[in-house]
Amino acid sequence: MTLELPQAIRAFEILLGWSLLVQSAEYLQLHAIDRVSQWRIQRAEVPHARVRQALDWIYQPIPYHGMLGLRALLALALMLGLAGLGSALLLFVMALLLLLRWRGAFNGGSDFMTLVGLTGLLLAHAIARFTSPDTAWHVALWYVTVHSLSSYFVSGWVKLMRPEWRSGQALTVFLDHGVYGPLPEHSIFRSPRLALLCSWGFTLWEGLFPLALLDVRLAALLCATAVAFHFMVFWFFGLNRFFWAWLSTFPAILYCASLGML
Amino acid sequence: MEFTALLIVAYFALLAVALRKRQRKVNGPWLFLLRAFFPNWQFFHGLGPAARLRVRARSGTGQWSDWQLVYPRLPRQAAHLVHNPAVNLALSQQNLVEHLATDVHDLAEQADIRDCVSYQLVTRLARDAVQGGRWGDTPLVPQPDWSVPEAFQFEVRLLRLGQSGDEQLLQSPVMPLSP
Repeated sequence: MTLELPQAIRAFEILLGWSLLVQSAEYLQLHAIDRVSQWRIQRAEVPHARVRQALDWIYQPIPYHGMLGLRALLALALMLGLAGLGSALLLFVMALLLLLRWRGAFNGGSDFMTLVGLTGLLLAHAIARFTSPDTAWHVALWYVTVHSLSSYFVSGWVKLMRPEWRSGQALTVFLDHGVYGPLPEHSIFRSPRLALLCSWGFTLWEGLFPLALLDVRLAALLCATAVAFHFMVFWFFGLNRFFWAWLSTFPAILYCASLGML
Repeated sequence: MEFTALLIVAYFALLAVALRKRQRKVNGPWLFLLRAFFPNWQFFHGLGPAARLRVRARSGTGQWSDWQLVYPRLPRQAAHLVHNPAVNLALSQQNLVEHLATDVHDLAEQADIRDCVSYQLVTRLARDAVQGGRWGDTPLVPQPDWSVPEAFQFEVRLLRLGQSGDEQLLQSPVMPLSP
């Protein structure tokens, strides 16, 4: 069982494109439902006057929505395998503009992981100008893999160092404060035993995720568990963007694991 | 073991050691706006204090309502997996409240919190809550006990997750609502 480079690239492009498409559709709808964020106020956080003035123009309704529409089209092109260096560069720049528009992040970690994916895409197309496309994609997929594995590793090990996670208490408390919460009175996650089991399960699984590089079958198992984990995170916390952003990194992990370097 | 493999092992070992050390906080406007380039990946890491926004409204007769919590609670739908703007907006606004709490904590002497962008945006959020704003179909304040408010006030309280009790971090002045 291996994931060859051409298949990994296609899967990565399709999943990243889909993730960008989901985000773009949501951003487009925010205009109608957001009565709080206002660029006229937020611009004060941009330190340079010239940058501020340029952003003033970009964030006017027509250019801003034009940018989001273009982003959705480029995401589609990426899914169809039609995105080149120009598209990758545009998507990267638009990601930066969206980060600035939303004070550094709209949806936290999912924005960060999306940027990792887009940086990988840009790396692949930029490096391919100087060397073979295979080498360029090899570097790009490793870049995405290291970031994705780091995210699980860090998340697992910080939990391991916290007593409230080791006791299982944190899980129930966080679930109670989720956007779709609180937990029903008789939810199974209120059981201290189950909470303890789940906490240790998640902590060890996340902390040991880098072992995916040992064997592609192990990587597939860890990634499949991750799909279930991210779905639960969506189910309780509403974080749908996390689901797609992390899913888009799995082809990179499976490809790197297929190389059998460890 | 190849050199690349050794590098990977060394990287994760270094990461594990770094996580045990106390991390220095680096501030700066560009660093804040471009923090996506330096992700720390520490999600739901501990039960620290959590900021909560509460609002109250004053009616034309001068009577104040009770304080009402503004916290995202929305009904779940499976379709949200592919399209979830209202929930994501609600979560970003709760993050805004958390940012305000951080800004209050980090506020320099002589500085006025009202100059902070987070304060001004939370003021808009509180105003919207009092004026019947919604996250999609869900009102920001589920059961408001005011009808035609003429002024409002908000406060940010720090809740210790998993424990009882909270403490007030900030209370705004009374602000009029334009008709």
